[in-house]
Amino acid sequence: MTMKTALAFFALSASMAAAQTFPDDLVERGRYVATASDCVACHTGPEDKPFGGNHRIASPVGDIWAGNITPSTTHGIGNYTEQQFADAVRRGIRADGANLYPAMPYTAFAKITDEDIHALYAYFMQGVAPIDEPSQQTTLEFPFNLRFSMIGWNLMFRDTAVHRDDPAKSAEWNRGAYLAEGPGHCSTCHTPRGMLMQEDGSLHLAGAQVGPWFAPNITSDKDAGIGSWQKDEIVAYLATGRAEGKSQAGGSMAEAVSHSFSKLTKDDLGAIATYIMDVPAIGGPARFGQGEAGNLTASFRGIESPDLSDPGKGAQIYSANCASCHGYDGQGTQDQYYPSLFHNSDTSGAGVNNFVAAVLNGVDRKTEEGHVFMPPFGTQPNAFNSLDDGQIALLANYAVAQFGDGQMTVAAEDVAMIRAGGPTSNMVRNVRILMAAAGVLVLIGTVVFLRRRKTA
Amino acid sequence: MTSSSQVIVVGTGVVGSVIAEHCLDAGLEVLMIEAGPRVSRAQIVENYRNLPLGAKPDATASYPPADWAPHPFHGLEHLESTGPNKYDPTYIRYAGGSTWHWAGTSWRLTPEDMQLRSRYGVGRDWAFDYETIDPYYNMTERKLGICGPADPADQWPVRTRSMPYPMPHLPLSQGERKFTEVMRDKLGLRNVPVAQARNSGMPYDDRPACCANNNCVPVCPVGAKYDAATSLNRLEAKGATILENSVVYRVETGEGNRIVAVHYYDRDKTSHRVTGEHFVIACNGVETPRLMLMSADDRNPNGLANSSDQVGRNMMDHPQQGYTFTTVEPYWLGAGPVVNSGIMETSQGDFRADHAAVYFRLNNFARNRDIAKRAMSSGKVGRALDEEIRRLTATSLNVVAAFEMLPDPNNRLTLSAQKDWLGLPRPSVYWDVGDYVRRSSAEYSNPLAQRIAEAVGATDFKPASPEKFSTSKHIMGGTIMGNDPATSVVDRHSRTHDHANLYLPGGGAMASTACGNSTITMTAMAFMAAEALVSEAKGA
Repeated sequence: MTMKTALAFFALSASMAAAQTFPDDLVERGRYVATASDCVACHTGPEDKPFGGNHRIASPVGDIWAGNITPSTTHGIGNYTEQQFADAVRRGIRADGANLYPAMPYTAFAKITDEDIHALYAYFMQGVAPIDEPSQQTTLEFPFNLRFSMIGWNLMFRDTAVHRDDPAKSAEWNRGAYLAEGPGHCSTCHTPRGMLMQEDGSLHLAGAQVGPWFAPNITSDKDAGIGSWQKDEIVAYLATGRAEGKSQAGGSMAEAVSHSFSKLTKDDLGAIATYIMDVPAIGGPARFGQGEAGNLTASFRGIESPDLSDPGKGAQIYSANCASCHGYDGQGTQDQYYPSLFHNSDTSGAGVNNFVAAVLNGVDRKTEEGHVFMPPFGTQPNAFNSLDDGQIALLANYAVAQFGDGQMTVAAEDVAMIRAGGPTSNMVRNVRILMAAAGVLVLIGTVVFLRRRKTA
Repeated sequence: MTSSSQVIVVGTGVVGSVIAEHCLDAGLEVLMIEAGPRVSRAQIVENYRNLPLGAKPDATASYPPADWAPHPFHGLEHLESTGPNKYDPTYIRYAGGSTWHWAGTSWRLTPEDMQLRSRYGVGRDWAFDYETIDPYYNMTERKLGICGPADPADQWPVRTRSMPYPMPHLPLSQGERKFTEVMRDKLGLRNVPVAQARNSGMPYDDRPACCANNNCVPVCPVGAKYDAATSLNRLEAKGATILENSVVYRVETGEGNRIVAVHYYDRDKTSHRVTGEHFVIACNGVETPRLMLMSADDRNPNGLANSSDQVGRNMMDHPQQGYTFTTVEPYWLGAGPVVNSGIMETSQGDFRADHAAVYFRLNNFARNRDIAKRAMSSGKVGRALDEEIRRLTATSLNVVAAFEMLPDPNNRLTLSAQKDWLGLPRPSVYWDVGDYVRRSSAEYSNPLAQRIAEAVGATDFKPASPEKFSTSKHIMGGTIMGNDPATSVVDRHSRTHDHANLYLPGGGAMASTACGNSTITMTAMAFMAAEALVSEAKGA
């Protein structure tokens, strides 16, 4: 399809919304953009109802429910014009004029090009099956229930510029920058946020806690970031969720790998790697290369009672719960399907939150390599064993001391925080600050609103 | 404390759990009562690892029984055996039941296995045919997550499957492949992959894939093998109440001989009464008939469900004889699950009119544990001992002949005069494997085993004594199923002929044993019972 005919469709779509027919190749291109944007991860609750919404996103201000974005005319976006669709994706504004919460990464999606938005629209109107069922409504506490409070936030933090190629860089670099900063929305998780939950640009991709998981530093720093990784390791990580002897994707990164990265072309993954390797380094504690195989089995085997409720049993908790897959000495399997626990970012002091999160929540990701599944050890129905906070702290401390750099100790309270969905202290602080700031935002919003009405 | 429930399921093993889940999914209220404790997998794993080497082959050694819920255990008297042979099954009274330590082997019956009387003039026919149970086998294979071969040439029984296995079979290890080739080339026998309740190359049922710890018995340390303990949290999430450490000792009848309540002791010997509408007793083939006999009342002076006098009779097992021999060439068994292939075709034929059929199981337990003592007794030390252990680990094979057994009313479970910790009469079983089995050992199985040993180049084959049989843990027959209330305990739905709202599903209901392990047939029958119970509950 030529650009002219595409534009013709574009023009047509403004008035005809869902009634039109898009060519198959455009719909397919839109599917790819949707995959690169990982829409499905947030907008799908029950697996058999793709894009039907009903997916809960835990945020520091409360649960946000991702909506039904199927072309259902009763409960989805079937009545959206392309302009309304573009505004929702890139500006965070729904067809009815209400603001979306920035749980929808529209600050990143703002970079998506017109061509890709057009393809995306074609896909959602024609390539997705409508589901005529409502999604759960988001009901946040005051003042966050006032969606117009986001107007002020948008004024301060939303950059509406579409991606432009940097002529000083290669085409591959530019493609990578587009994918990583636009559809791929890496910064949404990997960039720490400021007091008003805006991304802190001075720490771009330097790592941030997102719920129970820590989205680590992925800048080019050799120790704290992934500057020591080869390009093909980054590509392999994105395609399979693991870089042998370094790191494995869990939590929402496992979802991103399963639903999005693993389905992108090798060229696009290479482009993302090229760009990511060029992201300015931001330092911090080292995450890789530490530790070695070892075990303390001889200290308890056949001597002590195997009552695992006894305190001081980290090594035996490891033996009972972990050793059958990861090896009695933590070296994993030869093929690293079961990763080694030394030389592993999760047993570095900086990554120990993710050790705890992986134990509590397990790991679940599907790629061409197969289905990687580590059972959870929380209170889930399929928990291998429901370890309590104290036991997980003992286990984490054993793992960090035995396989890691011994740089961090974990207390039962830390485990409780991660079990509750993330570091509570930060969350409470942020919410309180946000609550205070919200008043200001509402004020700003109101002023702007009144001014606009005056000038209208 | 719960004092009533719509459905009461006594026992939390595979049969009780499958029925409970079916009832919960149908919207019924379910209370499960378990005699034993509820323990973590991690605890069992460490119990096992802390055992001395010599105790590790004992499948129950990692499961010390609670005082109030005794089960067969080294050094503990619970199950009495009388008669010419020793009846010595293992079972576990823990939440999750004996699937904790099963190997996961999941052979289906064949159509012929269910018609011994009409085809061969021995034993009993089942109350229904293979086509009737086939859909429930399919349900079982999906519920438990049973992997099995996709190639019809490797499947058992030899017939077109109505549904494929949900997972491909686990690969055979090097030694198993070699054994399979030798059997095919030299004897024309098919050694086929075992269908087994084990996640094969993929997670299933929200449990991880098998990672070949070769530790299926006594416990899968990662939960890749189905055991009922893996489902208990899910049942609770669906609304079930589970009472552990609660020993049901009496089932109470009321008007119309319907069941109205069960009575249980807690761990402090305090008695409790729980009323309900539908009752499922799924305590295994020893404890279920024992409970029926213990519950005798004025209406049922010989015990509940026992107007036929068949409760506790027809006790069956797969009597087995093991052969260990040494080969010249290395086999290196022990990679993968502990039972991964076997010869089933020797279990079918017109000879069943004369003697029992047999199944040859190639055990795939890593051999070092078993041969270490033997190597040490050779007197070798140091490097020579290491080499001897290595040689024997590589070259010793263990093949087990598992026999079918006929239902004989004289093989009978009764209540002993001896009492257990709670003061309840212990079970006692008269046990005689029977001439049908002995003839098979002498005339059929021993000669076949010798040919197998010669085919693999064994130098030290010793025939098994036709008088000595060990017990499998496949407890069958004690509450036998049939269409005639005069000669059987339960009907085709595992419902007792005598009590309209009492189900006794499980191995006790099986009318023939065939040679394959009994669990998936028990589970298929559990689904049939669950459907009947739900339709009764919904109709009521």
